[in-house]
Amino acid sequence: MTAVMAMESVPVDTWHERVHQVKQRGFGFFDFLTAVDRNSFVEVVVHLVREDLSDSYLISTMLSNENLHIDSIETLFPGAGWHEREVGEMFGVKFEGNDMQKLLRHETLGLPPLRKNIVLSARVVTEWPGAAEPEIKQDGRKVGNPSRRRQRPPGAPESWLQQ
Amino acid sequence: MIHSFIALLPDKCTSCMLCVRECPAWCIHLDSHTEEVTDAGARRPKKINVLDSFDIDYSLCMYCGICVDVCPFDALEWDQHRALISDSRADLTLGITQLTSENDSAN
Ligand code: SF4
Ligand code: SF4
Repeated sequence: MTAVMAMESVPVDTWHERVHQVKQRGFGFFDFLTAVDRNSFVEVVVHLVREDLSDSYLISTMLSNENLHIDSIETLFPGAGWHEREVGEMFGVKFEGNDMQKLLRHETLGLPPLRKNIVLSARVVTEWPGAAEPEIKQDGRKVGNPSRRRQRPPGAPESWLQQ
Repeated sequence: MIHSFIALLPDKCTSCMLCVRECPAWCIHLDSHTEEVTDAGARRPKKINVLDSFDIDYSLCMYCGICVDVCPFDALEWDQHRALISDSRADLTLGITQLTSENDSAN
């Protein structure tokens, strides 16, 4: 794959312009566009590659949680439209200029599931099977004297697990 | 090898719970108890875990293979049983006998 990767973070109002400039500098192959939830803001990232794959360019921008709007780059790279719709569905970002049709989720389904403040309801209503021990039965019954401290499921925030 | 099934080697399993705790789909359920055994020549009995039940709910399993990777005793392994088909969700939960790779009825 590519040897070098330039990285740059740009203000959101220069997003479209900057992506256009980088494309004109020879990074004409659209690899992907995605987003990362950084808690206090959402980072949108696009990865562009030179057509001979000799190097690539990562451009990112930060969107404040209060204003998840950004210009679409679909006119520069038609393939980006699909990625923008996915980011819209999963992170609640609105790409201006993209029709933002739903890809996978039904219109009426609520909050964007990849935001970290969204509680994954299956994790809350399901009992974690890992709490069982040789001395603790799956239904919570204790036999013998279980010594170790109670295990918690990895990756699930404490606040989801309080009953 | 087609990675279409997770097989259990119950004799190797020590009921350590690692696979159950690492499974991202929370689809492995395990019950066990401790027993005291005295080895020949040993002064005191030691406690061992005995596996009572081990179930994988294949309606939730996403075949990520994390359980196979984390098992420190190689008690889980990929197997090429065919994908399960059933119109009942309960049938998709397989226990020790069905998960044992020699058992061909778990197809
Ligand atoms: S393959 Fe993955 S989802 Fe399936 S039982 Fe193993 S850890 Fe769980
Ligand atoms: S990780 Fe291996 S030894 Fe431990 S409970 Fe799972 S199958 Fe058994």
